[in-house]
Amino acid sequence: MSDLWDAIALVLIALVGGVVRVSTPFLFVSLGECLTEKSGRINLGLEGTLVLGAMSGYATSYLTGSPWLGIAAAALTGMVFGGFHAVLCQLPRVNDIAVGIALIQLGTGAAFFFGKPFIQPTAPHMPLMALGWWSSDPQLQNALMINPLFPVGIALALFLRWAFRNTYWGLIVRTTGDSEPAARDLGVSINGVRLAATSIGGLLAGIGGAFLSLSYPGSWNEGLSSGQGLMAVALVIFARWDPVRCFYAAVLFGAAGAIGPALQSVGVTQGYYFFNAAPYILTLLLMVASGRSKRAARDIPRELAITR
Amino acid sequence: MVAPSKPGKWRRSVGTWLHYRAETFIIPVLALLAAAVFFSIFLIALDKSPGEFFFLIGRGGFGTLFSWQNTLVRAAPLILTALCVAIPARMGLIVIGGEGALVIAGFAAAAIAIPLDQSIPPMFTTLAMGLTAVIVGACWIGLVGWMRHARGVNETISSLLLTYIAIAIVNFFISGVLRNPADPNRPSTKPINPDAMVGVIPGLHVHWGLAAGVVLAVLLYLLMDRTTFGFAARIAGGNPRVAEAQGLSVGKLIVTGCFIGGACAGLAGFFEVAAVHGRANSALHANYGFTGILVSFLARHNPLAIIPVACLFGGIGAAGGLIQRRMDLPDATVLLLQGVVFVTLLASETLYGRLPFFRPTQESRT
Amino acid sequence: MTMPTDQTGPARAIGLDVSGVSKAFGSFVALKDVDLKVPAASFHAILGENGAGKTTLVRCITGYYHPDHGQIAVDGRAVTIASSRDAHRFGIGMVHQSFTLVPSLTGAENLVIARAERPAVFRWDSERKRMKEFLARMPFRAPLDVPVWTLSAGEKQKLQILKQLYLNQRFLILDEPTSVLTPDEAEELLGRLRDMTRAGELTVCLITHKLREVRAFADEVTVLRRGEVAGVGRTADLTNADIAKLMVGDTPLPSRWTGRKPAQPAPHPAFEIRGLAANRDDGTAAFRDIDLAIQPGEIVGIAGVSGNGQSTLLEALCGQRALVSGEVLAHGERVLPTRAAFAKHRMFSLPEEPLKNAAVGTMTVAENLALRTFDRPPLAKGGWLSSAAMRRQANVLIDRYRIKTPSPSAPINTLSGGNIQRTVLARELSGDVGILIVANPCAALDFTSTEAIHAEIMDQRNRGVAVLLVSEDLDEILELADRVVVMSGGRITYAAPIADTDRATIGHYMAGEKTAEAGV
Repeated sequence: MSDLWDAIALVLIALVGGVVRVSTPFLFVSLGECLTEKSGRINLGLEGTLVLGAMSGYATSYLTGSPWLGIAAAALTGMVFGGFHAVLCQLPRVNDIAVGIALIQLGTGAAFFFGKPFIQPTAPHMPLMALGWWSSDPQLQNALMINPLFPVGIALALFLRWAFRNTYWGLIVRTTGDSEPAARDLGVSINGVRLAATSIGGLLAGIGGAFLSLSYPGSWNEGLSSGQGLMAVALVIFARWDPVRCFYAAVLFGAAGAIGPALQSVGVTQGYYFFNAAPYILTLLLMVASGRSKRAARDIPRELAITR
Repeated sequence: MVAPSKPGKWRRSVGTWLHYRAETFIIPVLALLAAAVFFSIFLIALDKSPGEFFFLIGRGGFGTLFSWQNTLVRAAPLILTALCVAIPARMGLIVIGGEGALVIAGFAAAAIAIPLDQSIPPMFTTLAMGLTAVIVGACWIGLVGWMRHARGVNETISSLLLTYIAIAIVNFFISGVLRNPADPNRPSTKPINPDAMVGVIPGLHVHWGLAAGVVLAVLLYLLMDRTTFGFAARIAGGNPRVAEAQGLSVGKLIVTGCFIGGACAGLAGFFEVAAVHGRANSALHANYGFTGILVSFLARHNPLAIIPVACLFGGIGAAGGLIQRRMDLPDATVLLLQGVVFVTLLASETLYGRLPFFRPTQESRT
Repeated sequence: MTMPTDQTGPARAIGLDVSGVSKAFGSFVALKDVDLKVPAASFHAILGENGAGKTTLVRCITGYYHPDHGQIAVDGRAVTIASSRDAHRFGIGMVHQSFTLVPSLTGAENLVIARAERPAVFRWDSERKRMKEFLARMPFRAPLDVPVWTLSAGEKQKLQILKQLYLNQRFLILDEPTSVLTPDEAEELLGRLRDMTRAGELTVCLITHKLREVRAFADEVTVLRRGEVAGVGRTADLTNADIAKLMVGDTPLPSRWTGRKPAQPAPHPAFEIRGLAANRDDGTAAFRDIDLAIQPGEIVGIAGVSGNGQSTLLEALCGQRALVSGEVLAHGERVLPTRAAFAKHRMFSLPEEPLKNAAVGTMTVAENLALRTFDRPPLAKGGWLSSAAMRRQANVLIDRYRIKTPSPSAPINTLSGGNIQRTVLARELSGDVGILIVANPCAALDFTSTEAIHAEIMDQRNRGVAVLLVSEDLDEILELADRVVVMSGGRITYAAPIADTDRATIGHYMAGEKTAEAGV
């Protein structure tokens, strides 16, 4: 009997660490997309940005020996890619959802093309913070090795929520996303605001991608991301465009994605593929639940076109 | 037959019709050329020869009879997965789940062959496989349409999510319950009876999937452009509010369109299993679905135009191996080229209605 | 010259002098040599029918457009206004016809982002203090701490005006501000603004097409017609007939319809609504308990300002919105909004904003003309379309309704607004009509087109069609309807035959001041 309790305890411990690890990229990508969508544009190309960020972060870390330079490179790549999305969508008559799909393909193609030489070698990982020093249990210590990006993400979520209410630029972003006539009346450049928002969104997504390759799972290969960028877009809708709710949702997704590996760590290997599919199924169910949600209909930035 | 009162009026009408349609044809071609230019610049920056690159595409895709066969084998599923994008697109939906529908339908076909193989004549097995694949594919994408209509779920995101789910489901089965114990290297289902496999078109040495694709493309073109159903679907795609005000059931149209598209993708899965591989394994997931998206967009979602465009991309894919070996480029080169083409194509959409050459000469004002 | 942006000093109205302004868009001349002189602290009206150039003129003043020729002087000093920011700096503020408030922001947030000097980070306590002080000096108020989407149209309009005053804009241009207000709200608002001009705090320039408002509130009026100044003068010196003539000029009016035929008695109403209810997208009630009956050969007008459930009602009747309860009956038979029902009971509709609600922009004129008939012979045989028959039908209708298009195969979104409206009319009214639902048919159309459409509607009525007319323009309803019904707050609050009621009564019910048993 005590074996079962031990096993459950092990799973929970593994889950804690796993949740933090799996939710961090979701957190960054969703915060970036939250900013973009608040300004009135939907960027489906984040999946491509994520992969490109992962590759460029890994390559830079490998070539320079510094994972922090890798993060910086990933951020820069993401920003440029996000800016590219904005510039394309600015052109009249261009469909922003189709652009997103195209950029997924372009980003993934570019990442695989340039990333070939970096599949085998190992690049230096990001250093982790040892938050479990107070415990004598090695497993718990292991689980509580937290990547510093996680608390940065939490701080970012709180900052964004505060900024949307209390800063000039936060209110302007909300204006652009909610009422184009009002923005024009204020003399604000709608395309300029969206360019900035989408670029910063891409920057954050790039960092999220670099986390994947430089922390967990911690390597670069062509199967690294499978839909995380896409799920983050769905996550933002579910979180009804509030940064702090994006954090909660990211943790939820992290839990969904971490159950599989956590069970594996105690030897439960059946249903591996089911747990693989769990995050996607969860995303789908959440989208169905929030599709006709009346609160979502009130909170949606009115210039955002999700279903036309 | 129409007997116009003045022959000049009729000719003028056709002339204007051509004038408007020319734009639809020339701008994608310009986009393709522009993409080729961009990619050439990219190659030059990498110290590779664009001339050699495009020459090899010509050789590997269209140079010899053998390369043509290779191209057409690849074009067959591309036609079908592109139709999976095109039909919903005419109804205003952007559905990109063809890859998922292909994989799960192909798997379903292989799975149903296992119990049937021993019990009934091979021809019926093939028929059952085809039917299963079509139904599974149709339902998979039909689900996307239903979620869009009933719950307002964005169909692009949901169809892509369903693709990942489909791959996970198939992997689950072929690594577990339905795994073929005889093949230790690669998880796969039991190979189907060779007699149940689909043969090749005589003389062409390409499987019948190509013919099926071409026939379906023509039929669906007629459906969308010449029938009342197609007209109603285009109204729903052009302006759903107007469709509703005219008493059309937008929901039924959307779901039907998704069923049709899914059936096409399912058929592609069937042929991949029954004509090419003979079993379901990871080779099913060969990016035909994703390439099909680009094919449909480049063909402007016109089923007839999909046929030549699919051949073009089939050829590029067929030449991929040659390019990899001769020019020492990674296999992702084709992926990157497709990405460049897609982005350039979408950017060229902004030119519609803005190039003075295409604007009609008579302006009208109240 | 920069205006001080704090509101503590005494407010001073400013004057504007516009001379010789011209503006053309390609070959279309919107304004030709227009002068506008508005002395400080006066209440000036710019009058003209739709399309006369009023909005273009004020857009030149506020920096949205750059005039091709002409001078603008503020308080005697010549200025160049290159952008809306320049206009704001000179103290020129504009309240637009459609709301330029951000719906999800509160009133306070809307005010704060518009300020010329704004810190990167707001300190809400000092901002609120400022706003409180400002509001104390204002003759009207609006809620500031709830999201703007929860406000009524009247409150939003007041908030827009307050916003301009908060920014210390002392030359206020109002573009058709009362179109969304009940007659009483309009009275109150314009009255208070006039009081401010009398006190020397504000100069008002009112753009309107309503003669009544000009008469009641303006000191002077400039009348525009087809982009030129048709006349200027003090309202005291001009009669209504003078002004009307200036607005319309000497163009002969299209011959009016041949009068009303008395309604024929019928066994049951042609069109009946019982207990209809539906919700908005966010779940709140849009309208409840709507009962209405229309006899053949009768026009029933639903009056009410926008936002009281009319557009949702129309969506429900056209099948674009699900009902919560109730039923619709046509010729005594229960109907659902299906194509078969529409065809059987010959139900047609002319929605507002035709390009958005009645036409498929990317389809051709011929295809749009076929939206009602494409699935019946002669256009369709057993599911197959005949494009030749479609073209034939298109040619006939294009000729008959004088639709100007290069060809029937032109995409309809290349046509002008008037021609799109004609296409929709041709499609809906050319057949045998039994029931007609019309919504705001003449919004943004000029006088001649408006008269033509009114004549068409009257013609249908005289042929025995049951017409439901929903309009925000009370004048239109008073002119056309046999019976009027008022919708306020999502319910019918009043119903009466036109002969038994008047503008003032209807106006009171529109304001929600009275409710009565709607039994007619």
